[in-house]
Amino acid sequence: MAKPGDALLFSVVRRDHRPWLLLLNAAVATTGGLLIPSALADAVDMALGGTFVLFTLLWLLGMAATEIIGDAIGIVLAASITSRATAWLRHRLSRHLLALGHPSPFAAGDAVSRVTGDCGNAGGIVVTLISLAIAAASSVGSVVALALMDWRLAAVFVVSVPLAMFLVRTHMQLTADDVLAYQEVSGDVSARLLDAVSGKRTIAAAGIAGREADRVLQPLPRLAAAGAGMWRTQAKMMWRAGLLLPAVEVVVLITAGFGVMEGRLSPGDVLAALGYAALGMGIVGQIPQLTALERTRASASRIAEVLDTPPPDRAAPVAPESGAIELRGAGVTGVLHDVNLTIPAGAFTAVVGSSGAGKSTLAAVLGGLSAVDSGEVLRDGEVGYAFERPALLGRTIGRSIGYGTVAGEAEVRDAAVAAQVHDVLIRLPQGYDTPVAEAPLSGGEVQRIGLARAIVRDPALLVLDDATASLDTVTEAKVDAALTTALPGRTRVVVTHRAATAARADLVVWLENGRVRGTGTHQELWENEDYRAVFTGGE
Amino acid sequence: MRFYLSTLAGHRRGVLILLGWSVLEGVPAFFGGRLVGTAVDKGFAAGDPRSGVLWLLAFAALAVAGALGQRQVFARLGAVVEPMRDALVTRIVQGVLDDPTHRRTPDASAVAMITRHVEVVRDATAGVLVQARALLVTTVAALIGLATTAAALIWLVVLPIVASLVLFALLLPSLAKRQRDAVIADERTAEASGAVLTGLRDVAACKAAEEAFADIATEVNRQAKATVTVAWANSLRATVIALGGFTPVVLLVAFAPPLVASGQLTTGAVLAAVVYLTNNVNPALHGLARTTSTVVMRLMVALKRLQEVAPRTNKKIGTEVPSNGEVVLRDVTFGWSQDAEPVLRDLSLTLRPGDHLAVVGPSGIGKSTMASLLTGLMPPDLGRVLFGGAPVDLVVPEVRHHAIALIPQETYLFTGTVRENLTLLAPWATDDELLEAVKKVGAKPILDRLGGLNATLGHAGEGLSAGEAQLLALARVHVTSASIVILDEATSHLDPAAEARVERVFAQRDGILVVIAHRLSSALRANRVLVMDGGKPLLGTHEDLLRTSPLYGQLMLAWDPTHHEETPLPKR
Repeated sequence: MAKPGDALLFSVVRRDHRPWLLLLNAAVATTGGLLIPSALADAVDMALGGTFVLFTLLWLLGMAATEIIGDAIGIVLAASITSRATAWLRHRLSRHLLALGHPSPFAAGDAVSRVTGDCGNAGGIVVTLISLAIAAASSVGSVVALALMDWRLAAVFVVSVPLAMFLVRTHMQLTADDVLAYQEVSGDVSARLLDAVSGKRTIAAAGIAGREADRVLQPLPRLAAAGAGMWRTQAKMMWRAGLLLPAVEVVVLITAGFGVMEGRLSPGDVLAALGYAALGMGIVGQIPQLTALERTRASASRIAEVLDTPPPDRAAPVAPESGAIELRGAGVTGVLHDVNLTIPAGAFTAVVGSSGAGKSTLAAVLGGLSAVDSGEVLRDGEVGYAFERPALLGRTIGRSIGYGTVAGEAEVRDAAVAAQVHDVLIRLPQGYDTPVAEAPLSGGEVQRIGLARAIVRDPALLVLDDATASLDTVTEAKVDAALTTALPGRTRVVVTHRAATAARADLVVWLENGRVRGTGTHQELWENEDYRAVFTGGE
Repeated sequence: MRFYLSTLAGHRRGVLILLGWSVLEGVPAFFGGRLVGTAVDKGFAAGDPRSGVLWLLAFAALAVAGALGQRQVFARLGAVVEPMRDALVTRIVQGVLDDPTHRRTPDASAVAMITRHVEVVRDATAGVLVQARALLVTTVAALIGLATTAAALIWLVVLPIVASLVLFALLLPSLAKRQRDAVIADERTAEASGAVLTGLRDVAACKAAEEAFADIATEVNRQAKATVTVAWANSLRATVIALGGFTPVVLLVAFAPPLVASGQLTTGAVLAAVVYLTNNVNPALHGLARTTSTVVMRLMVALKRLQEVAPRTNKKIGTEVPSNGEVVLRDVTFGWSQDAEPVLRDLSLTLRPGDHLAVVGPSGIGKSTMASLLTGLMPPDLGRVLFGGAPVDLVVPEVRHHAIALIPQETYLFTGTVRENLTLLAPWATDDELLEAVKKVGAKPILDRLGGLNATLGHAGEGLSAGEAQLLALARVHVTSASIVILDEATSHLDPAAEARVERVFAQRDGILVVIAHRLSSALRANRVLVMDGGKPLLGTHEDLLRTSPLYGQLMLAWDPTHHEETPLPKR
């Protein structure tokens, strides 16, 4: 049955001529490989005849060389095709995910696994297809070769393989219980370790690392027991699989032996029969490849699902005045409903409301971070965003501030000073050049770096989405003062939980269940009991 | 790596049993070629089909014995691999928990990575044991079989095989390097796409789709290139092994005719020799090539990564005994690296029993570092931290841990009963003492809600709010007999009233109390305040500092207006 990803896989295969090269190379190498057992049989018969025939030996050498060189080329060609296809898919997929923007219809972890895992699987399509085809051709070729020597050999082989597989097949799957138990216990150890590392300072300060390690490791005996069970099951599987090839070999050998006795076959042909039996069994080893093909198709469908999602239209009509914003009947399905709002240029606006009221969504549509489903947003000029939990992008801390801009070292530094984080950054192991992943930063420090990132853009509109929530009050006040100095007269929209912040704002937008419940100053709204509950009730 | 090998050596007996069964597994390789040769020579070719069939049935019986041997090998694998995994996990967990620096704390994804790498080591060890052992047993058995049937030609066979193995070994280091590069490129691709895709909101906010795409594309392209580089090395390796496997066959048939003609070699011997080479030696050699390229490299990379998360620390065990309860800091300086600005500079301070010190300053300025130095978790770069006259990090560990207690902002609660959690630092404490401590810090309602001391807690204090977890951690320390207590933002999730209560309760205990303040109100309750703001630290009483330090005055002023809705300043 066709899957949505099949068309994508087809376009991967048809990207360039390399798959044809691989197929040609594999065909040549396989032909060489198929001729080796008969060439070997001739060479052995020659040796047994006691006379040296150069041509027989050269023929054997030629076939062997064809196979060996073909294999060597095949390895590089296959890797090159797979890696190019994978990279091509990853480029397309990540570009499209970026175009889909925020909020993405695909969860972050899921998107990452599509880019890393699924693209890798789907990129292997050419090699999987060709190796399946070659294995099939090689098995058919072996049966033909057996038939050419003696039809009885081919008949015996064709009958014995399914029979042997049937005998071996029973109980071929791992007992699910041990696997499940193993995963569960392993998860328990991880959870315990996570508990302990979260309390690492307590443990280190109290000098109880040894005791707590024992606590983490308490489930280990159960893990070992489950593991041993898995090995025992695997032993059973190996035992049955290990019988398959010899069983077929013996049947073919006996048939070949009678052929020798009756003069139809030479002693060398016995070896050839043995060789072809092994080659013919190759298709059995390819059965997992069928699973791989299914996995490839499933992965391709997951990639196609993303590529088939159209990116939203984010173009916003221009507002009459730089820095001012107007919302006309703006709505986001399920979150915001019919919001009409005008925020004058240069105003300090606070957005308040209890959790789930739609504050962050309003902040996102105000600055064009995400699109509205209905109505329109009028706006002009550069927008700077800072968040409660910013994700730091780019390789170094310095770059994470200038991310997406051409800001130089000096601008980055100035922004960090304004965001009250410069003092922290110069104390990092490599200062501004510290890689993001290695920087020991607290939540409040990351928040301030996020602020610096917004400041460095010199925006006409600054949107702070709870961006100072983790700061102690001293630092918050300093940041506030510094923002006013660094970006004087800019429009500022602040999503906040703190009444003190709302009190400082020129205008407060009070949201409830995705609708504007009220606008005005903090003092005006404070009269309302429901408004007061926003700050006191939830805490 | 050395640890890994020594662990394996520790299970020598298991490995030996494994090798014992391997001998059985090698039996078909030893007799197989000869039996096939004899079946043709003495049976079918001699016109005696019955003996031919019997010889082949013997061949089949041996194959069954070999499969049985293989079965035993797998069944016994658990006895080697599982204890090895246990030892590895134990060492890593101990290493992770023993690392005293508080900035490198593995998060959930790091813990997941540890689990993944441990599994790789387990699987790869099993893989190596199966493959390398099979190669050894099969090749040796086949070569001995060959030597006993066609002794005249043995050197023609052995020399190419040995030559190819030597060449293969010489190629290994470069192959290993390329493989490692490829694994790292793989990880980088995952990291780069992970960073961008988990930060899509931020990419959009920065209008940085182009730079984000470039970040991913760079790593994707690098990874693709690394894969092809590995393929070249693999291709060379496969060729070397294929040549080593096939050359003996060619040499054998080329040199056999005169020997057959002169009667030195029988038909059976020639057939046996070819069967040995094509059926046993060749597959084993290819298996070796496959194993080394993938499994061994995965094993090495995983071991290296694991070593990075759990480095062996060579800590000196202290022997000094403090002579009194005083803590003295003398010109203490500490920084995270040579080039970085020091976190602490020239800090001098004396704390006597009964002292109550508050440390205030913006977040990230080094207050927690000071707590770590006071606790003796780390030695200072310059200057001295003395406890009762002895450098605190060199005090006998039992004495130090008994006397000094640190409560960090992030609480440690583990799955177990509430009692187990509360007696973590004072295993001797009675239920009455525990209840007393719980009551004093104000955690009684939580204990009642949970269902008393016998109630069980889930992972990571599941079902408790951050503030409730902090109260339990505070009760846990209150019940100890520590004479120096350091609260490092340990009340950050409590409301101001609960915080004040906790600080008062701890101040009433004998000894020294150091409060790294989350809110400035903590400074008003202390009898001395240390102000850290990046420059030289300032020390004094609240009133002194208000008079003498403009910085402290500013801090108090900046703090005050934002706190309308919280508890008013406590009166002193």
